[in-house]
Amino acid sequence: MLNYLYSIPNTIATAILSVLHINLPQLNYLLTWVIASIVLIVVVMVNVIILIYVERKLLGRFMDRRGPFVVGPAGFFQNFADAFKFLVKEMILPENADSLGFNSTLVIIVASSLLIMTVVPQAPNFFFTDPELSLLLAFAIFAIEPFAVVIAGWASNNKYSLLGGFRSTAQMMSYEVPMLITVVSVVVLAGSFNFRDIVNFQAGHVWFVVPLIIGFIVFLISIVAEIERIPFDTPDAEAELVHGWMTEYAGIKFALFQLTSYVRSFAGAAIMVLIFLGGWTGPFLPPVAWFYIKVYAVFVLFVWMRASLPRVRIDQILNLGWRSLLPLSLVNILIAALLRISGVL
Amino acid sequence: MSIDLIGFILVAAATLVLSVMMVLSKEIVHSALYFAGLLIGIALIFFLLNAVYVGIIQILIYVGAVVVLILFGIMLTRRDILLG
Repeated sequence: MLNYLYSIPNTIATAILSVLHINLPQLNYLLTWVIASIVLIVVVMVNVIILIYVERKLLGRFMDRRGPFVVGPAGFFQNFADAFKFLVKEMILPENADSLGFNSTLVIIVASSLLIMTVVPQAPNFFFTDPELSLLLAFAIFAIEPFAVVIAGWASNNKYSLLGGFRSTAQMMSYEVPMLITVVSVVVLAGSFNFRDIVNFQAGHVWFVVPLIIGFIVFLISIVAEIERIPFDTPDAEAELVHGWMTEYAGIKFALFQLTSYVRSFAGAAIMVLIFLGGWTGPFLPPVAWFYIKVYAVFVLFVWMRASLPRVRIDQILNLGWRSLLPLSLVNILIAALLRISGVL
Repeated sequence: MSIDLIGFILVAAATLVLSVMMVLSKEIVHSALYFAGLLIGIALIFFLLNAVYVGIIQILIYVGAVVVLILFGIMLTRRDILLG
């Protein structure tokens, strides 16, 4: 099957090399993947800009105001104005901060968050790579970030940053187990760790949100905790910890962290759409359109939760994770196994 | 030289350098940082050997859980703001 995210860069790379009269297959291969990476980053960043705009507009409406409306058509270029403001700010390295930890965690967090999108397919013919275990790989890359957050909180040499980093770890220990068990129930039903196989199975049978509704709810709560959005944003709780582990980061570094959190929101919504909501399947419209409609619908749900729910306390998160979500996810995997061995699905 | 061989040499060299730096580092949190990089390097070697599942589990368990728990332990031991 034709993969646009590979074939178009391959055409461009071949054209460039033929103009330069270079005939090296390895160089062609390398150049193809470099161009494909740039295309993927552009696709993700355009989505992130739209997501931030959607969130600001919707939050405004939820709070009975209008949101941004001055810069550009309907305030769409407000994000660019804010990004420019961040860009001209001074980058401060706090005194006594650990510069290796302070700067390397920025690279790790931004890179690992962008890396998630490489294994998330967006349509049957629009994906970056399609490994056999792409679902597991996506969660493995998701799991790298909390480690970098702890180091960032420690390296800032600030009490609030350190507390934010610790809270991130405690939160990760509470949601990671139920989330992975829920994912296993999907894998039990679909019989594959591959996103494309899971979506094809759902297209042939039924969206997994119907038989695994308990798992869907558990996964929704866990993924919101994973991407650290408002009901579960204890690591950077503004009212308690200044800005948590991001407190000491200034200027463009802070802007990059904010962008990264939206990349993770996008990836989380995309994974939820792929494993529970039937991915890109749907009538009449092309697959990419259905994928983005569903992803934005899930993101609107995230914004709705952010606007209407209060923040959960850190000890409440641990109780919720281990006393409620874990038993529910075990019930869910039991349902999946029963459906599988009874031959209903 | 094939691309696989070049990739293996780069990854193996980076893993070796990281492991040496992990042992020589004075600051114990830096050791943990290098340790995580070292574990990712080992996962990449598993990928190059076509053992994708082992590599993914390596990242998920070691980088995602074990290193974070080690950090959680060592951060409660010593740093200026913790001494007060």
